[in-house]
Amino acid sequence: MTDFRPTTLIAAAIFAAVFIWTAPAVLAADIEAGKRKAETCAACHGLSGNSTDPAIPSIAGQPAQFISTQLYFFREGSRKNAQMLAIASNLKNADLNDLAAYFSVQKAAPAKTLAPEKIETGKRLSQQFNCVACHGATLLGQQHIPRLAGQHAEYLRTQLRGFQAGTRFDMDGNMTSAARALPAAEIDVLADYLASLGTP
Amino acid sequence: MSTRIILFAALLSAVVTAPAYAQQAPAAPAAAAPAPSWQQGRSNEQASSTLHPFAPHMTGRPAKDLPIDKLKVPAGFKVEVWADDVPEARSLALGSKGTVFVSNRNAKSVYAIVDKNGKREVKTLLKGLNTPNGIVFDKGTLYVAERHQITRYDDIENNLDNAPAPKLVVGNLDPQNQPGHFWKFLAMGPDGKLYYNVGAPGNIVMPSYFQATISRVDIKTGVVEEYAHGVRNSVGFTWHPVTKALWFTEHGRDWISDDLPNDELNTAPRKGMNFGYPYCHQGDLLDPEFGKNKSCAEFTGPVQKLGPHIAPLGLRFYTGKMFPAEYKNNLFIAMHGSWNRTTKHGYNIMRVVLDKNGKAAKYEPFLEGFLTDNKGDPPMWGRPVDVMQMADGAMLFTDDYNGIVYRISYKKK
Repeated sequence: MTDFRPTTLIAAAIFAAVFIWTAPAVLAADIEAGKRKAETCAACHGLSGNSTDPAIPSIAGQPAQFISTQLYFFREGSRKNAQMLAIASNLKNADLNDLAAYFSVQKAAPAKTLAPEKIETGKRLSQQFNCVACHGATLLGQQHIPRLAGQHAEYLRTQLRGFQAGTRFDMDGNMTSAARALPAAEIDVLADYLASLGTP
Repeated sequence: MSTRIILFAALLSAVVTAPAYAQQAPAAPAAAAPAPSWQQGRSNEQASSTLHPFAPHMTGRPAKDLPIDKLKVPAGFKVEVWADDVPEARSLALGSKGTVFVSNRNAKSVYAIVDKNGKREVKTLLKGLNTPNGIVFDKGTLYVAERHQITRYDDIENNLDNAPAPKLVVGNLDPQNQPGHFWKFLAMGPDGKLYYNVGAPGNIVMPSYFQATISRVDIKTGVVEEYAHGVRNSVGFTWHPVTKALWFTEHGRDWISDDLPNDELNTAPRKGMNFGYPYCHQGDLLDPEFGKNKSCAEFTGPVQKLGPHIAPLGLRFYTGKMFPAEYKNNLFIAMHGSWNRTTKHGYNIMRVVLDKNGKAAKYEPFLEGFLTDNKGDPPMWGRPVDVMQMADGAMLFTDDYNGIVYRISYKKK
């Protein structure tokens, strides 16, 4: 009955990855404006969006829609974080779009290295628990879905545990469902694996 | 509170028992969560599918950044941006003094758009609402359908800068905080009652007794009655200008195949009709699971099959004088798209011409151009949600992906 052809899906996934890459649909003016507005962000995230504190996410090279959407949910108080609420509450939608445009074109810092056997396990988990279905075959994120490749492992662990506990805001229930399927003992290796993946 | 304690306990038990996982084959932790509603009903083979719904740009995208000139309408018609910076623009309602009200879902607000000194101004009229998708204006009052209640804001057009406190029309519409299709469409019937949908709590599940219905409420007494049954989810209904019969769009289930089932255009001229969900889809396709031992013959089928996964939303009959005569009493339907198929279609406004017997004689595109790559992800740059006729006969439609309201007009040569 079903009409799903694996080859088509793989082709679609590859196409999606290429498409996202080659089409950062942002205007130069937005990026420049975003850079000027990014000073407050730089204190914690770094000027290029590569934070040095592993508890603070890397936002360099994240999909623009992901950044603007998260800023929006911080501002509206849906995703709870006192510091981000304070910062975002003074920003208008146009500011959020400018910041998203700026950080989305910054280059992510090189990934951490990881032992080969951990890479094997992590890769298996990322497929078994369907991370790749939404975050993309190379886990670079797409649209409103974040890049996981090269993200700080500590930050990823905190988010996954938050989703499991139901304390992390989840717009559509996808991550709560995905994270609760994940055995607690597997979170560490999965997070380390994701942190070890390179970004272009 | 109790939910939190349960979640915490579950997490704690998962953490405490964590070392055991190291020695065992992978097993599900204690606190399994149901699949998100859009994934519900997938086969095992479909679990790794990359098909997914598309999220709107919550901050909106300015029209100047978008290829507006790619939008196409028939010869003589013109489409233009009427207002942008209306994030997640969903349902439309028109005030008697010309105010255009626009709802949303995730953005929790209702906007009012007014012309002030020749400039169009978008005001955030209401804030902090719970999924306020449904709005309708009638006799000076704005009615708002949130997921759990319908409220009224009286004399609203004289109070656009200071909206009055809402009065409850009917509450307790979502006693179980249902998953799935919990947002509501709202329309005022010719009988003076408010009509709203209660969607199915998942993709393909057995609904409880008042779910998968179009219901109506008497605004004076608050008494509710179910009007139509077996409606998986309708996010658009209207009444025929001559026959006064109810017409509505309905979304079919997902995860059967790319081409099945079709979404539906239905009519329910009387109370008590059943449109088949979850047993029968598109009037002639028994559900692989729920349809066993059932027959489609006992249900009402669609007037028009609209196409699989095309996601029909708002619809209105055209009764204005601006469009050419052959458009009179035609039906226009906003198609939100088709995430659940490998080759995308829709993201347009379709025109339905009905014959004297109320059958669809013609079903054709009216506005196109949002779909740019039918294998792309995303395949489109905008998504129509609702259509509405203005006093001058022009048509407005919303696009929640970008937060834009567009205007379609016609000029005789």
